[in-house]
Formats: sequence, C-alpha cells, structure tokens
Amino acid sequence: MILKLSLEGLKRKQRDYFILFTGLIVSIAVFYMFLTLALNKEFITGNSVINHIQLVFIVGIVLLSVITFFYLYYTNAFLLSLRKKEFGMYELIGAKKKQIKQVFLLETMLIAAAALGAGIFLGALLSWLVSSLLAAQLNVEFIAFKVFYGPAAFWTMVYFLAVAYAVSFINNRKLAKASINDLLKAEVKHDPLPSKPKNSALMIFSGIVLLGIGYVALFFMEILRFIGLFAAPAATTLGTYLLFASLLPIIVRKWKRNKKMNFRGLNSFTLAQLSFRLNELKWVLATIAMLIALSAGAIAGGFAFKNNAVLSVDEERLYDAALYNPGDAEEEVLETIALEERLSYRFKMDEEFVYYVEDELAANPPLIVDWVSYETKRPGPFPDNLKIDEDGYQNLGDQWTMALETINPAFSTLGRHRIVSAETFEQVEAEEITIVLARSDKFSRYIEQWQELDRLQLQDGARLYIPMDLEYESLYSKYSTFESQYAFASGTFFMGFFLGLAFLTMMASILMFKILSGANSDIRRYDSLRKLGVRKKALEASISKEIFIVFLFPALLGLLHVFVGMRMFTFVIIDPYYRLWISLLIFLAIYGSYYFFTVHLYRKLVLPKG
Amino acid sequence: MTAILNVKNISKTYGTKGANAYTAIRNLSFTMEKGEFIGIMGPSGSGKTTLLNTIATLDSVTEGEIIIGGTSLSAMNEEQLSDFRSQQLGFIFQDFNLLENMSVFENIALPLSLRNTAVPRISATVQQASTLLGISGILEKFPAEISGGQKQRTAIARALVHNPALLLADEPTGALDSTNAAILMETLSDLNKEQKVSVLMVTHDPLSASYCSRLLFIKDGEIDQELHASNSREQFYKEILEVLAGTNERVIAGEAR
Ligand SMILES: Nc1ncnc2c1ncn2[C@@H]1O[C@H](COP(=O)(O)OP(=O)(O)OP(=O)(O)O)[C@@H](O)[C@H]1O
Ligand SMILES: [Mg+2]
Repeated sequence: MILKLSLEGLKRKQRDYFILFTGLIVSIAVFYMFLTLALNKEFITGNSVINHIQLVFIVGIVLLSVITFFYLYYTNAFLLSLRKKEFGMYELIGAKKKQIKQVFLLETMLIAAAALGAGIFLGALLSWLVSSLLAAQLNVEFIAFKVFYGPAAFWTMVYFLAVAYAVSFINNRKLAKASINDLLKAEVKHDPLPSKPKNSALMIFSGIVLLGIGYVALFFMEILRFIGLFAAPAATTLGTYLLFASLLPIIVRKWKRNKKMNFRGLNSFTLAQLSFRLNELKWVLATIAMLIALSAGAIAGGFAFKNNAVLSVDEERLYDAALYNPGDAEEEVLETIALEERLSYRFKMDEEFVYYVEDELAANPPLIVDWVSYETKRPGPFPDNLKIDEDGYQNLGDQWTMALETINPAFSTLGRHRIVSAETFEQVEAEEITIVLARSDKFSRYIEQWQELDRLQLQDGARLYIPMDLEYESLYSKYSTFESQYAFASGTFFMGFFLGLAFLTMMASILMFKILSGANSDIRRYDSLRKLGVRKKALEASISKEIFIVFLFPALLGLLHVFVGMRMFTFVIIDPYYRLWISLLIFLAIYGSYYFFTVHLYRKLVLPKG
Repeated sequence: MTAILNVKNISKTYGTKGANAYTAIRNLSFTMEKGEFIGIMGPSGSGKTTLLNTIATLDSVTEGEIIIGGTSLSAMNEEQLSDFRSQQLGFIFQDFNLLENMSVFENIALPLSLRNTAVPRISATVQQASTLLGISGILEKFPAEISGGQKQRTAIARALVHNPALLLADEPTGALDSTNAAILMETLSDLNKEQKVSVLMVTHDPLSASYCSRLLFIKDGEIDQELHASNSREQFYKEILEVLAGTNERVIAGEAR
C-alpha cells in the first residue's frame, strides 16, 4: 500500500528525480572511466610510464571514492528533502516509520541500480572517447586498453550500491528522528539565522598567516624540501578553511551594510539569500576550493610536464640532428627543413682516440652552453697550443670539451679526443667520417623529419661507426632523447588530465546538488516575490547572481592556489606555467557549464511556472 | 467619486475539458470607489480567493474585464502585470508571506528598493510606515524573532509603504488570535479613514468584517447579497450575523428539501 503510494509520489516528482538521475549517471560514468584506467592490467603493464605512477592512481581512487561518497550523500539528502512532506503524510495516516524507511531505502537502491546500468554504458563511451582523443593527441597508441572492462564495472557496482545503502541508512536515521510535524512543515522550515561570527578577526588573521606559510612553502619547495612537502598542503588547507569560515560571512555583511547597494532592486533579497547560503555552505566551499586547486593543478601540471619534454631536450641539445656521412636521402630530408645553421666536420677514429681537424673547428666553432651563465655561445680560442702531456692527455679546456660533445654526442662518453693539425689528421690510419650538425628554427616543428632522419641513419648501421650496439640501444640522437622523455611526459599528462577532469566534474556536481537540495525551501520565497510584483527576469537574475558568487569564491581561491602551487614544480619542470591558460580554459569550460546547469535547474525548481 | 476598481462580468473557469472544468466565478460584477473598505464574505469554496487573485493579477479571468485605476488588466503582458502589482497594489496574506531571511526593515523596504528609490527616502518612508503600525522597535529583527501579530503588521507596512492604489487582503486575521485580530482591524480601519487607503479584504470572521464600509456576500461564484455599513459597528456586526444565519438557514433548508 505504502509502496504504491510512494510510487505515485515518485511519479509526481519525476522532473526532480530526472535531474538527480542524470547527475548520478555522470558520476558513475566518471568513476567507471577512472577505474578502467586504473585496473586495466594489460594496459598498465604494457605502458611502462603508467606502470611507474600507479601510486598516483591509488591515491586518485581513494580521493575519488571519498568525493563520490559525499556526492551520493548530498544527492540522497536532496532526494529526501523532496519527499519529506509526503512521508509525513503517510505517517499521519498511520504508516509505521519502519515501512517508510524501507520504502526510502528501496527507492534509493532502485535509483542507484538503474543509474548504474546507464552510467557504466556512458562511462565506457567516455573512456573510449577520452582514450582515443588523448592517444591521437599524444601520438601514442594505447595497446590493450579495454573500454569495457569487467573488474572495473564490477567494482563500480559494488561501490555505488554499498554507498547508496550507507547514505540512505544515514538519511533514514535523520528521518526517524524527525517528528511528523517536522516532516509536514518541512517546506516552511526557517533557516537558522546566521550567527555573528566569533573571533572572526583572529580567524581571518590566522587564516591569512597559514595561507602565507603554505604559499611560502610552495614557493621555496626546492629549498625546504621535506618540510615544505608537509607544510605546504597542511598550512594551505587549514588556511583555506579558516578563511572561508570567517571571511565569507563578513564580506556579505559588508555588502549588506552598504545601504545604497543593498536597497537597490532585488539586492537585499539576493544578499540575504547569499548570506544564508554562504553560511550554510562554507565548509563545502572550502573543500571545493581545495579540490579545484587539485584538479586544475593536475591538468596544468600535466600540460607543463608534456611541454617540458620539448623544453628540456632543447636545452640539452643545441643541434637538432647530428648526421654521420649523410647520403642523398638525408640531404633530401634536410632540404625540407628551414635550417638556421648547418655545420660539417670530419673526424677519424682509431683504437685509442677520436681525431678532429684544428682548422676546421676554429673556422666553424659550434654552439655551446656556458656552464656558469647558461648562455649559448661559441667557444673561445684553443688553450695553450693544444699541448699533450706525458700521460698522453690533451688539455682542451672546458669550452672545447663541450664543443666536441656538441659535435659528436654519441662519442662524448669515450672521453679520449684529440684536436690535431690537418697534416696529422691525414696521417691517422683510419676511415674519414663526416658529421653534419643541423639546427632548425624550431625543433618541435619538424618532429616527423627528425624521426625520418633517425630511421635513415639506422638503416645502414655500418656507416655510423658508433661505439654502441644498435640492436639493444637506440640512436643517441636528439630525436630519440625527445621521444623517450615525451612518452614519460605524455603518461603524466594523461594522468593529470584524467584525474583533474574526474575531480572537477565530481566536485562541481557536489556543489550543484548541495545548492539544489536547498531549493525546496526557496520555492515559497520566490512565490512571495512574484506576488509582490517582481518581474520574472529580475527573479532569474537574482538567482544567477547568487549562484555565481557561490561558485566564484572557491574558484578564486582554488586558482590562486594553482598559480602559486605550480611553482613547486620548478625543480622538475623548466616552465611549469607553460600554457597555463589552456588548463584554465578547460577548467572554466567545465566549471562554467556546471554553473549554468545549476542555475538552469535551480530556476526550474524554484521559479513559479507560467 | 471615482471608481478605483471596476469588475465587469467576469467568469473564471479552472481546467479546460468537460469533466475537469470548474467554474469558480460566474458573471460577477461590482464597482469599488476610491477610499472604500470592502469586505468579501461567503462559504468555503465560494470563490473568494479566486476573485481576489484575479483582481491581484495573479490569475487571469476566463471572461469579462477588470479595470484598476483606469487600466484594464487584460491588455497587459506578464511583465507589465508584474510592474503593475509592484506599483499599484499592496498585498496582505493570511500566512504573512514575509521573507524570513530578511530583517523586518528589509521586508518593508522591498517594494521601495524594487523601484530604486533613494536610500534616504527609503529610510524615512519605512520609519513612517513602521511608526504608523507600531513596529518601529523591531525593525532590525528577523521574522522568526517576532510574534504573529507583529508579522502581520510588518506585512501591512510592506503592503502600504509604496502608496498603492489598492490594498488587497486575503483573510489577514485568519492566523491571529482575537486580540491581535482586533488590533489589526483597528489599524486597517484607521488607515482607510485617515490615509484614504482603498482596501479589499476577504474574511470569514464577522467581527473583522464589521470594520468594512461595504460587504459583498458571494455564493457559488456570484454576488448573493450586499450590505452597507450602519451607524455603529455593533449594529453592523449584528446585521452581518443575521445575513450569515440567513444564508445558513437557506443552505440547510435547501438540503432538507
Ligand atoms: N487552481 C485551481 N484549479 C482548480 N480548481 C480550483 C483552483 N483553485 C480553486 N479552485 C476551485 O474553485 C473554487 C473556489 O475556490 P476558492 O479558493 O476561490 O474558494 P474560497 O472562497 O477562497 O474558499 P475558502 O474560504 O475555503 O478559502 C473551489 O471549489 C476550488 O476547488
Ligand atoms: Mg480562500
């Protein structure tokens, strides 16, 4: 009987349930997508990079589980708030609390089960989309990446059903505590008045100090090392919470004090709403600020790391290619590249030494990097007539030792070089090898050409006279260095991107549902305003403004964290701020669409129709 | 005298399809002069709230025309109706409808801020209205912190603060005890006599009704009877009771037949 009634009630609130259902599906999809990536054994072991950073995945799953829990908790509370009045009515006509609890539990589980089906399907679709997009973008292939992955689906189901049970259990206890009267009057409930903040000056002060400590720790992470690693997140988090708890109510209070602003149009109402909402949401908002920092940071970190592959290889290698005895094929490729510089040297190599011609070097000295100033320059004159001491060691000086490394990087480990006159060079009984150094305007512009050059060089290994076994080792070219670094960076990028997206969607959903779950008590207010003659447009604008500010605060502080936090990576990444705007744009796009979605849903929930 | 309100042959039918359709008001007409205090009485379900809502522009009529202060409501679109409400009408509801997240002051000031009145003007006008209603001491409190009577007086202050052409009230004493109800009716009556505010009020309570200058008795969506105030309020009260008794007798007689 009660079940039948409840089903009818469910039908009546169809629209609200649909919203909830959609949100749930999205969260399941994200969870599944993440698990697929984390649990795909063949994929992980097949991708050495991902294999190395599995710890990050585990941390990621833990975080995601926690967020998902709160997400479900809020959606479930939202669900209950929709039905409270109805449940009170059932009690009034004699239904037992136990029956009502069972109905609510059943409803929750049914919704979770239905959402799981759709969510996992969507998740598979998403992981296919994201993985193929990333694979295409990163120029790598994800071998053995299964989109439909059994264990991932299994654990997603287990987790969501367990959490659905747990949260409906918690909410049921709240239901049990409420009297019939409370339930019936649920819709006219008064919000508690925001209490005057105590010690807010002290809280703001310590919040700012803690944030300062956190930022300093982030900034000087390189020096502080271990202490910084602990101090930065702890102090930043604590500072964020303190600031949100103390500063937000004060800001709104200040606004309200400004009479000119407060008594203009609907502002007094909007600000009143805001002051209640910020008071109610301050802990959630602080948490969201931290998660924004984490997710935007992860995306930005991923980008910067990827860029780092190009930057660091550019810094390490001044010449884009060093070609041994280049033939017509190589020359053809070189012609397609806009070369800034092309140098050519001869060398010979016997059992003991590698010989270069003094005049050739002096005539066209290659670029080197100054050890001290890090500037690129050409080496100076040869030291002391290139004397050879009793041990047979020729003193070349730092600059020319480096110059020879630049010319012939593959031989740099050998260490035994001789710079000799043209006559001596002629007398050395060994084959003469030509090495051509090429430098383009931009390495990253001609990746395909460098790859082709490497291939051509490797084709005829005998031509190379390189002291390494090419069957086991890769060519010591700039391209191959780049390739391996890029693979590692891409893995990190993939991780950061994926984690960041997952966090961002989750937390934006939490914010959305937290706001929507309060919508029921607002319906009356907006109806009163409509009766008083407030235009619908003005009501809509008030809602947009109010929710905008709720969304704005965590975004501001979260992004500030990212700006400061990215510096932390300076000791692994050359330019951690590289293309930060792309990450910001991605963040804004996602966060912004959540904002508009929330506003849209909220309007639908609270504004009178017609 | 000029007519502030002109209700011409209005009908209101809820629902559209045969079985669902219900006509709450049938071909009803009356005129209200400026400065009048009209009470609307009638049995439950007779269409009082419906009538008030159509006049309040919250609901549209199916047929007929309503003219307030020379403006026909049917000619206006949704936005114009909103503006009209906020400028020409004042509302008092049974359950006060105060915004409980705003202070008493802010509640009263709302109709003024909606018209972007300058802050000094707002302060002065709110002070004036609240003094008139005896609530100047609680302006900084929130609705949750004041009594029912104070809430209703706050609601009246809010309904009056912008000098509306017409004050509409749906059972304003419904949620008050008899003492508070009497105080409230005295206040409304004073406002009507001294400030010349035109008031249209729906009520069940004969005692509250006795403060009006004219009463319209509605039955089944039509005006059944009309009663003008007598010399004294006591006398008027008795007459009202007689009319109500008469209606009841007719109902009982009708049922017995
Ligand atoms: N939105 C609506 N849809 C359908 N019928 C309605 C609607 N509102 C009111 N009615 C019907 O119109 C008739 C008049 O209702 P109204 O609320 O005007 O009565 P009332 O005189 O105010 O009664 P009460 O004294 O109980 O408040 C009633 O029969 C009611 O059921
Ligand atoms: Mg009514």
